[in-house]
Amino acid sequence: MRLIGVDIGGTFTDLILTDTEQQQIWIHKVPTTVDDPAIAMLSGIQTLCQMANLSPDSIDHLLHGTTVATNALLTHEGAQVGMITTQGYRDIVHIGRHQRPQHYSIMQDIPWQTQPLVQRRHRLTVTERLGAKGEVLTELNEAEVLEAIATLKQQGIESIAVCFLNSYINDAHEARVAELIRQHYPEAFVTTSASIFPQFREFERFTTACINAFVGPKVKAYIDRLWQQLQPLGIQSELHIMRSNGGVATAAVAAREPVTLLLSGLAAGVLGGAATGQQSDRQNLITFDMGGTSTDIGIVTASGFVEATARDTWIAGYPVMVPMIDVHTIGAGGGSIAYVDAGGAFRVGPKSAGANPGPACYGKGGIQAAVSDANVVLNRLDPDHFLGGEMDIYPDRAFTAMQALADRLNLNLYEAAAGVITIVNNNMANAIRSRTVQKGHDPRQFALVALGGAGPLHAVEVARSLSIPEVIVPRYPGITSAMGLLTTDLKHDLIQNEFLLSTQPDLSKLNHDLRSLESQVQTQLTADGFNPEQVILERWADCRYLGQGYELRVQIPEGELDEAKLSHLWQQFHDRHTVEYGHAFPQNPVELVTLRITGKGAMPKLMQLPPPPVGTLEQAWIKTTETYFRVNGQLEQYATQFFERDRLPIGGAIEAPAVLFQKDSTTLLPPHTRAIVQPNGNILVQLMPLPIEAKRQAIEAIF
Amino acid sequence: MPTSLSPKRTLPAIDPVTAQVLAGALNSIALEMGHKLARMSYSSIIRESEDFGAAILDADCQQLAECAYSTPLQLGPIPGYMRGVLKAMAEDGEEFYPGDVILHNHPYYGASHGPDIGIGIPIFQQDQLIGFSFTTAHHLDIGSCSPGSCGIVDAVDAYAEGLQFKAVKLYEKGEKNRQVWRMLRQNIRSADVVVGDIEAQVAACRVGERRFLELVEQYGLDTVLAASEELMNYSERMMRQAIAQLPDGTYAAEGFLDGFLDDPDPTKKDLKIAVTVTIDGSNMTIDLTGTAPQIDDRPINMPFVGTVDIAIFVTLRSVLLDTALMEYVPQNSGLIRPIAIVAPKGCLANPIYPAPVIARCCPGNVVADTLMKALAQVAPHNISGGIGNIKVVSYSGVVDEDYWVYMDITEGSYGGRYGKDGMDGVDTLYANTRNNPIEDIEAHLPLRVTRYELLEDKSGAGQWRGGLGSVRDIQFLSSGQMSLEGEGNKYAPWGIFGGKDGTPGGVVVFSESQAAIDLPSKFPCRKTRSGDTLRTVSPCGGGYGDPLLRDPQQVLEDVLDDYLSLEKAQEDYAVVIDPATLAIDFAATTALRQSRSGT
Repeated sequence: MRLIGVDIGGTFTDLILTDTEQQQIWIHKVPTTVDDPAIAMLSGIQTLCQMANLSPDSIDHLLHGTTVATNALLTHEGAQVGMITTQGYRDIVHIGRHQRPQHYSIMQDIPWQTQPLVQRRHRLTVTERLGAKGEVLTELNEAEVLEAIATLKQQGIESIAVCFLNSYINDAHEARVAELIRQHYPEAFVTTSASIFPQFREFERFTTACINAFVGPKVKAYIDRLWQQLQPLGIQSELHIMRSNGGVATAAVAAREPVTLLLSGLAAGVLGGAATGQQSDRQNLITFDMGGTSTDIGIVTASGFVEATARDTWIAGYPVMVPMIDVHTIGAGGGSIAYVDAGGAFRVGPKSAGANPGPACYGKGGIQAAVSDANVVLNRLDPDHFLGGEMDIYPDRAFTAMQALADRLNLNLYEAAAGVITIVNNNMANAIRSRTVQKGHDPRQFALVALGGAGPLHAVEVARSLSIPEVIVPRYPGITSAMGLLTTDLKHDLIQNEFLLSTQPDLSKLNHDLRSLESQVQTQLTADGFNPEQVILERWADCRYLGQGYELRVQIPEGELDEAKLSHLWQQFHDRHTVEYGHAFPQNPVELVTLRITGKGAMPKLMQLPPPPVGTLEQAWIKTTETYFRVNGQLEQYATQFFERDRLPIGGAIEAPAVLFQKDSTTLLPPHTRAIVQPNGNILVQLMPLPIEAKRQAIEAIF
Repeated sequence: MPTSLSPKRTLPAIDPVTAQVLAGALNSIALEMGHKLARMSYSSIIRESEDFGAAILDADCQQLAECAYSTPLQLGPIPGYMRGVLKAMAEDGEEFYPGDVILHNHPYYGASHGPDIGIGIPIFQQDQLIGFSFTTAHHLDIGSCSPGSCGIVDAVDAYAEGLQFKAVKLYEKGEKNRQVWRMLRQNIRSADVVVGDIEAQVAACRVGERRFLELVEQYGLDTVLAASEELMNYSERMMRQAIAQLPDGTYAAEGFLDGFLDDPDPTKKDLKIAVTVTIDGSNMTIDLTGTAPQIDDRPINMPFVGTVDIAIFVTLRSVLLDTALMEYVPQNSGLIRPIAIVAPKGCLANPIYPAPVIARCCPGNVVADTLMKALAQVAPHNISGGIGNIKVVSYSGVVDEDYWVYMDITEGSYGGRYGKDGMDGVDTLYANTRNNPIEDIEAHLPLRVTRYELLEDKSGAGQWRGGLGSVRDIQFLSSGQMSLEGEGNKYAPWGIFGGKDGTPGGVVVFSESQAAIDLPSKFPCRKTRSGDTLRTVSPCGGGYGDPLLRDPQQVLEDVLDDYLSLEKAQEDYAVVIDPATLAIDFAATTALRQSRSGT
């Protein structure tokens, strides 16, 4: 099998090709062509095939992570969208939840009011109404629908969202309107709210449908064009696109449901991190991807990656109610600016120097000290080896900027630089804490996977502050998303609101609904080209105590459900509630709110990476020089060895403190850690107790 | 016996790095408390509307951090609750022990009003009291004279408002005080929901207690307290800088409450709120002298601590330290140090026990709005025109010998702002709750929301127009009752700097058997039959600046969006639009604007 993964990010397009028979991989990185991302992708694929000496027509699968949908939403450059909705409810997407995004602000903007996805003039209402059980209270007035379609067509609308109240439980009216649009205005891109995600809560569901409508035409055009442009290359494989749910979809499904692509690249990053950790036989993983402006954090356990709560997920200020990997992004990166604010507080980020002008040390005109400048001052980045020596850095500019900051803080230069690192690390540690400790996961049972250009530089110190015992640095930390693309399955999620009570369970309806969802998923996967025996089905139930508003997810036992299996399900829910909140109410009735079936079609995957070239530690050694570290509160200089990562031998044990350079990242090993190069090329870092901790442990052992 | 921290404790110097690290840690403790409370709770007023608060206090009841979501009107009062608890305990000779959990809702002892129940846990390190973990939440029912906990507008005194808890121990030394819990269940409607919510509050407080102890364990108590003090000093400095930038002087404004428009007694309606702001360097005094006298037997009096002070603090902060315009200043007790509040005893803003206060929410928003009007004179680019006030409605009915109770908060709107139109259909000033999804209401209650959309043609005209309120219709599908408290049926939100006033709100009941009935902005428990519908109409915000200066293109956009009619475009803005082509007639517009500004 020959697979290509292409992840297009804002700055770089990363490509990876693997030949599973030859056990070989080739990687390639090119600048993203922002105006037409396909250009860099196509030329990158050609180069990659040349590197591997393969003809493009021999490629079996092409997998793609894209930011086209995300960028359209973030820059608010999408389609002219129209909406057909229930009479009397024209402004659900404008009023939202009637809460101001900021408590303490008169001058704030509300994104859905100042930048509506659908202008009010294009929100047309028709007579129809469904009840809460899906019963028809008012028939759909088709004459009004036809009139609305004609109006939208005449207004030049390209994309229409159909959003009716209570459609989550009965989609008949929405489906009928979609059918009428296809008949009378076949050029329009059509989205119905129930077809995207039939979950109750109208503002969130309607907005999700509107986002789909808003980014839809652009994404569809992009995918169609990409497909056409791939043909002349001789690529005959199917094109699969990464979705926010951690699975891929066929190009056709992706083009129909582009709102499911918003976290395409981020999800691939978490999967890549997960694959890295699993190569090192670690199941509980925190993926930590730190770049220039932000850090993305994902959690993976033995049961897979953690999914976001659909109702808590916001992108570009809008709620998005579809299944997504829980990727927590905070504004902390190598370019994060350190400064003293008007009240005298020492802050780092979220303001970023970005790539331009970038940190002061880039010498492109940045004068404020950034995180990278602090690393330069502390001698953790080396001018000769930054980005493989391909980019110049100017240490004197970093020192000047840091000295100015130090003067304002009344600290010495090195204390200020170390302070910048402490604050940014702490911001990231708090973000990790919110996804681990606060969710009932003990970080001491996890390994941190360090990804991105800056991740391996900060990971060990972040791990130390959270008592995470191990850090894994993959062989190529900078192309993890592309690698993640080659570790995924094709995946569909289907849900149905059930509202079943533990005190009066209707088992026959439950079993019927499960079978019905399963057969729908099977049908979809068959359409995607999978035989039933290749398909894996997972069954989940979102439950809550009757009256609560937030659900927790538990797995539904296999097979036909009987009373015993159901009571096992309730027990699982009580246990889950205890883990999540530290408390359960076992005497209270439980409501099974939503059934969910995930169908997976297995895709071929990236095998173990080929072993890295053989060398010796001596050959990899560059120099030994003094570097600053803070240990037990004391900032001191330590003699630190610098190595070239690519020449480190398998099994090589590196004595900390040390710095490892490679083209796309730098790994920092502070004192009291030890690291070893694993056969798969990963570096496994173990954190040893600090001297004081060791002393305390010894004393505790005596008593 | 447990010992309390000496208030004179000398704290070590704190470096700026550690201060920042601890700021993040404290913040995340409060966030976790709130997050877990919202997710564990049962009633939609907490879990969907987010009408709750969570905070960590030091041993002197200073607020160190608050949960950034939830609502300001629940967050701000927390230090006052805890001070009220201490006062009540001292009066009764009670003491704290490790393992205690306190229940408190007394509005004359720091609570915001009775339904906002406070749960507090004293945090002990060994036997030393080092702080408090505290949550507040609005409960559906506290055993008032009629079902629900809003619209109890006929309560004649504090006793009629429901159960009063003054620092009652739900747990003592870790032992559950079972008799208190039994009493709660016996005296509160829909007790499963309410007691479940109280349990969720207790659990959230325990999370806060545990996390704060972990923090103290990691960094040492003195370091945590020193960092907290630095954070409060920081917030105080930021507030002082903002005040110092305003010109010294005295600035006054007046606002009016509808009060009880249907009451024959003239002293119960058209009630004045007087606000005088005095700026002296970096200090500010807010004087409410001139505000109407308290009403002895109607519950729109406002607790001085817990409502009036919060209305003032939240408004000042939102105007002077606007988080959209500057970086986030931690919300802690340092912010209020430069501010003094004066209100004569016996006025609406400082009532004397046992005057009832349960319906104080909307009057408090008028205090906030009037303060903003006074500030308009010194901070014209940071305020909005008059806001449309909110309404709070209780719907209930009997089922299986118990009650179902539902609380619905309908939003208001903001006035126009410098360079921006007002926000449409949002909660205003010190209130920032969320509505309950229609699909959630209809799936769980015998109610149907039959209309919910923006009002048209009603906003205050201005160079930047006022925001639009909404109309919301809710129909009973079985018999029951309802009650309502609101403001703004008579007094329209004010326009400013040449902007026109907005429009007042309204309340209407429709039923099959009789014609529509207009109701005032407050009505007590009212029986309903299946099919009866309550319509609430929000006031729409006041305009900012001369409407004749509004960009004609903006006027056209509003017409295209049906926010504005062609007639109003011409009448209010002197913009002439061709009804056939919907194009601006620029010549006619210029002529009309010239003739208008000439007169």
